[in-house]
Amino acid sequence: MMEEKKWAELTPEEKREVRMKKWIEAEDVEFASTESKKAYQERATRLMKALMLQEPDRVPVQLPAGNYPAYYAGGSIHKVMYDYDELRRAWLKFLYDFDMDTYRGPNLVHSGKVLEIIDYKLYKWPGHGLAENVAGYQFIEGEYMMADEYDALIKDPSDFALRVLIPRHIGAFKPFKKLVRPASVMGLPIGFVAQATNPDVRAALQAMIDAGVEMEKWQEAVNACNKEAQAAGFPSMRGGMGVAPFDTLGDALRGTQGIILDMYRQPDKLHEAMDKVADITIDNALAMTDDATGIMVSFPLHKGDDTFMSDEQFETFYWPSLKKVILALIEEGLMVMCFAEGRYERRLEALSELPKGWTMWQFDQTDMANVKRVIGDVCCISGNVPSSLISKGTPQAVKERCRQLIETCGKGGGYILTGGAAVAETNPENLRAFMEAAKEYGTYK
Amino acid sequence: MDKKWADLTPDEKREARFKKWLEVPDIEFNSPEAKEAYGARLKRMANAYRLKEPDRVPVQFTFGDLPLKWAGVSPGTAMYDYSHIRRVWSRFLKDFEMDSYSGPGMAVLPGKIYDLIDYRLYIWPGHGLPADAQAFQYIEGEYMKADEYDLLITDPSDFWLRVYLPRISSVFEPFRNVRPYTSIFESPMSYFVPYTGADVQAALQTLIDIGREMAKYQEVITECTQEAARAGVPSPVSGGLAKAPFDTIGDTLRGTQGIMLDMYRCPDKLHEAMDKLADITINNAVSVANETGGITVGFPLHKGADGFMSDEQFETFYWPSLKKVMLALIDEGLIPSLFAEGSYGTRLEKINEFPKGSVIWRFDQTDMARAKKILGDTCCISGNVPSSVLTTGTPREVKEICRELIEVCGKGGGYILSSGSSVDFAPPENIHAMMEAAREYGVYN
Repeated sequence: MMEEKKWAELTPEEKREVRMKKWIEAEDVEFASTESKKAYQERATRLMKALMLQEPDRVPVQLPAGNYPAYYAGGSIHKVMYDYDELRRAWLKFLYDFDMDTYRGPNLVHSGKVLEIIDYKLYKWPGHGLAENVAGYQFIEGEYMMADEYDALIKDPSDFALRVLIPRHIGAFKPFKKLVRPASVMGLPIGFVAQATNPDVRAALQAMIDAGVEMEKWQEAVNACNKEAQAAGFPSMRGGMGVAPFDTLGDALRGTQGIILDMYRQPDKLHEAMDKVADITIDNALAMTDDATGIMVSFPLHKGDDTFMSDEQFETFYWPSLKKVILALIEEGLMVMCFAEGRYERRLEALSELPKGWTMWQFDQTDMANVKRVIGDVCCISGNVPSSLISKGTPQAVKERCRQLIETCGKGGGYILTGGAAVAETNPENLRAFMEAAKEYGTYK
Repeated sequence: MDKKWADLTPDEKREARFKKWLEVPDIEFNSPEAKEAYGARLKRMANAYRLKEPDRVPVQFTFGDLPLKWAGVSPGTAMYDYSHIRRVWSRFLKDFEMDSYSGPGMAVLPGKIYDLIDYRLYIWPGHGLPADAQAFQYIEGEYMKADEYDLLITDPSDFWLRVYLPRISSVFEPFRNVRPYTSIFESPMSYFVPYTGADVQAALQTLIDIGREMAKYQEVITECTQEAARAGVPSPVSGGLAKAPFDTIGDTLRGTQGIMLDMYRCPDKLHEAMDKLADITINNAVSVANETGGITVGFPLHKGADGFMSDEQFETFYWPSLKKVMLALIDEGLIPSLFAEGSYGTRLEKINEFPKGSVIWRFDQTDMARAKKILGDTCCISGNVPSSVLTTGTPREVKEICRELIEVCGKGGGYILSSGSSVDFAPPENIHAMMEAAREYGVYN
């Protein structure tokens, strides 16, 4: 209680300091050795300095490995989605065979079994709608929310999620369509539980339990990797995930076509909904990083890039609600990492409005010299060795590109070397070229 | 079809609902006489609702679990062994003449379900009350905190599921740790992380168990209702129960003390929340009534009575949101049927604001002569044989009071003879006396 009060009174900078200190000191981690503890703290400090636009000892590297560990270990995404022992073995093998400054656990490898239990409709994945040898998921966009449902979303978002969207997204929860609105039994609470008399509702509840039981097995493997990586001295940039409000509505609710029409046909409703979704996003992100255990929240950005919409649409529809979310997280001492997939050439001016030293932007196809010039004083930047080069180029070519990037972006700190996107198909030599380049060309002073 | 409905006036909608409501169901009646009586009883009630003269004053029994007591079965026994319910109500049906069925549904609680939920809003025989106690007791409390209005307003169903439900039931406490349903949109995996908890799984399992048990209970209730219907005693289809927004907040959320303070300390928030709950109540009542085919929506009114608040508070806080709900239901051709428990003497002028034949008022301790004078031309009224007389008086005294009521209120129709409040104890002769009075003094023409 005492502590909570104190937390609310801290400035964003002070809150961040608490978070960073906790992350770097890592007192809750049982390190494998004193060396690994020392290495952990060196790496975390290196990352922290880059994030906060200071000069670290050298440019830190985030290996653009994505799902590559599955293949490196001789398996496939399909295999690790269904075999958690293999998942753990692959990610740990990768951990011990490669040098890196930060480790990314297999958190983003979904459990195929959980997805099957709930009958998730928004993805195809290897072995489920895609051939087993495909190296990624396919998102299935659609009009899951109708054009006339904005008011329902705005007025009672969780009700809309539970009784309208979730039954459309998730086959096993289709019976939730028949539930009464939870808030409507406010005065007569017993009415809610009585709905379980419906056998279909009971089956859906059973699927929730089954998903939880299966999830526990998956989580055990994922946690084991993360824990072991930390113990071995590799920090993860831990925290929550978020989605830009425009993307939430455009990806999983209205779909691209729907949201583009809405920008013309009902811009006010769209704004109102994005504002509401922004608040929900903030709450969720904070809940995921509660008690100062996380240091950042990551946003994979989708529909705001140069080719998806005009400058005016970006400034009117995409940026304001995303900025609102970013600023609210900063207020809580959290750093924000945005992955600007595609091209963000014409968006850089907008990013330069952000508070200095609080955000990290990973770029994909944006010109990094321009990036450094326009936002280098305000944001930590990272990127962008092309995926094509990482997949198909020679180690020399990768290393050369890394050198150029370090020269262009590294000056004065605030740069993290990585790929333009994460890759699943590459080879060990090309990945090792990142660390070699950083060590050879990225040392400060 | 839908379009046509929207084009109807409220009166046309109400008549359309009545037409459906008055249909005699296609069931196997015990005899042709029973079938005829079924239709006659419905019509008697409908005419009273519509301020027309029926064949005679209808009688409405609201005697809770009195039949159990006459049979010498304690509520605590019947709550756990539903076979008693079946037997006792079967006997009750044979022994009493009724205009509408006073079934066991709301009268006997399903004990196992309340046990499973560990419901904190009630204590009942064997659970907080002695096993031989004759009723259950509502436990008021501050289940919603004074600073939680914004949560309730911005995402009401989330508030209900993750904040409120965990407080009123120990079994659902773990729902505190699940994430809001809105967070499932783009991240199905991380949504299910909290479901790995054994406590969350156990809560879901309990919900499933409740559903199974509830199905058994409902089967017994349905058997009783069907038996009555076959004998010609209809259970007029209800459009469900609703509450005044002030009562929703004052009874089950903030509690009396809480809401009294809020009227002074945060009146604007209280108004905003009541307005939100009014919309939710309307929405739910209309959809329930549409589904059941009911025509009346029952409102047990609590905190607006004379003794609870000043006239000014009634007019400022209690009435506007209730009126909003009533008007919206009337607009849909539904009839709000309000039970004004306690005394409504100072409210009578204020509440006379609705079109003729669109509202029913049942009074408890209000002067019925005044009620007839002020409301009689526009509303069906009902009441108010005192529980005290029914409990301790002689059949002759009961009959005499009924006669007076019929003389005062019955003129021109629009009156239903009933007790002032629910009766916990009364000899069967006193109940027979009510029906005798109606037959003797209440025949029109």
